[in-house]
Amino acid sequence: MKINAALVGVGASKFGRFLPDSQLALAATAFKAALDDCGLQREDIDGLSIHMGWPLGLDYDRVADGFGLNLRYVNQSWLHGRFVTNALQHAALAVSAGLANVVACVTAISFTRERDFLGGPGDAEGNREEGGTHGESPPYGLTSPAGGAALSMQRYLAVTGASSEKLAAVPMAIRAHAVLNPDSIMRTPLTLEDHQSSRMIVDPLRLFDCCLINDGAVVVLLTSMERARDLKQKPVRIAGMQGMRSGRDEFIFAPPGLGIGQQPVGPVRSRPVDVEVYGSAGVDRSVVRALYTYDAFSPLPLFVLERFGFCGGGEAIDFVQDGAIGPGGKLPLNTSGGLLSEAHIGGWNHIREMMRQIRGTAGPRQIPDAQVLQWATAWGDSVIMTAA
Amino acid sequence: MAQETASRKPRPRIGPDSEPFWAGCRRHELMLPFCKECGKPHLPPGPVCPHCFSGSLEWKKASGKGRISTWVVVHKAWFPAFADDIPYNVVQVELDEGPRLTANVVGTNALSVGQAVEVVFDDIDQDLTMPRFRLA
Repeated sequence: MKINAALVGVGASKFGRFLPDSQLALAATAFKAALDDCGLQREDIDGLSIHMGWPLGLDYDRVADGFGLNLRYVNQSWLHGRFVTNALQHAALAVSAGLANVVACVTAISFTRERDFLGGPGDAEGNREEGGTHGESPPYGLTSPAGGAALSMQRYLAVTGASSEKLAAVPMAIRAHAVLNPDSIMRTPLTLEDHQSSRMIVDPLRLFDCCLINDGAVVVLLTSMERARDLKQKPVRIAGMQGMRSGRDEFIFAPPGLGIGQQPVGPVRSRPVDVEVYGSAGVDRSVVRALYTYDAFSPLPLFVLERFGFCGGGEAIDFVQDGAIGPGGKLPLNTSGGLLSEAHIGGWNHIREMMRQIRGTAGPRQIPDAQVLQWATAWGDSVIMTAA
Repeated sequence: MAQETASRKPRPRIGPDSEPFWAGCRRHELMLPFCKECGKPHLPPGPVCPHCFSGSLEWKKASGKGRISTWVVVHKAWFPAFADDIPYNVVQVELDEGPRLTANVVGTNALSVGQAVEVVFDDIDQDLTMPRFRLA
């Protein structure tokens, strides 16, 4: 089956900490805005793809019931940030296969109200018998996804000889993008001194190596290319995609070969299996104008750069220095400010930004000639979006 | 009661596949499941060998020696019960037999990748003994 899907409408609520609104209220604002954006009506929506359900987000049945939708396709993934790509890909697959005409990807999150769930006593998933998916081991006091990113970064530091000071280049660059975005929660520049003087969360990760915890919603609408051409906005085409990688070579927050969890130790390098997305999209990596990734923790962009071959194994820490991933850099990364500095909407704020960039409506953040953009994660999945 | 729950550290969830591991700890023996066909041990314990998919496994005592493959020091009290321990370390130890085990190193947070360690057993109560490590 050939992928025939485009992102046609996008809307968002405001982003902030301790917003008084329910997830459903945030979603309603974003849903209405997405419909207005592209000119579709509520009655046109016959599919729903949900990234994060209750308690952080909304379950599909609550959205359908609350908004009076009549659906013939529903997808909902496990309650983890990593399934952002999964939710987007399933929407594209459903549209391409004719399971739905228009799929709404609805992500509405109240992290602040449900923060006990994030690594605390309410986090049942971390207590999985064999350990949590980010390496959590609550009996030993490792209880949060941050712990998994820290395990990977500590070994990366030992292997590469890098330092926390060099890692600071990642959150500093992403903050520099955020400063240009009026929706960002964090809008003052981040200095090296700010980073180094911020409190240690889980050594080697400091406060500013960890993403925001906030509330907000983004809704993205997908339909076929044929239908997309009749709508208000310039379509953003799903040009190619590859799924999440999993197996004994994989740890969610480490490139294969680093040796975290049960990963065999080997040379970290981009392998053919890591970059199938470029063949799927029919583009070369060299034409990717900007890279978007799930920057829950500052090491994750490093692992993406190495997995997808933007640089060699162990080289990303040098690649990101001197503004290379910041505004005007050779490979801008997370140009809206990402999870680290714009807001944590499960990555959908990044998808929204990719749509704005390809439409040419990113204002002061606009990348010249933004025809090909890539979403890619540390766990190996990816979507390449292009101007139609 | 609520206060007691808040102050209690989480206990490992022990299921049919991992029970022999924890039973070994109660005897102060670090046990690993080895495949009778390909000979490789694995963690976390599963019902089949993840290397060759054989269902023929046997539990054997491991050396208890290994090296720190990575480590962290926790500074945030995600769980109230760990608040008094901060800062404390969590390590992944690559056992000499190959699989990696997550635990703590007792006595110091001055750790580095590659350091040699050996297992020690911490008797929590009559039902639970947790393996930890000390610098070798």
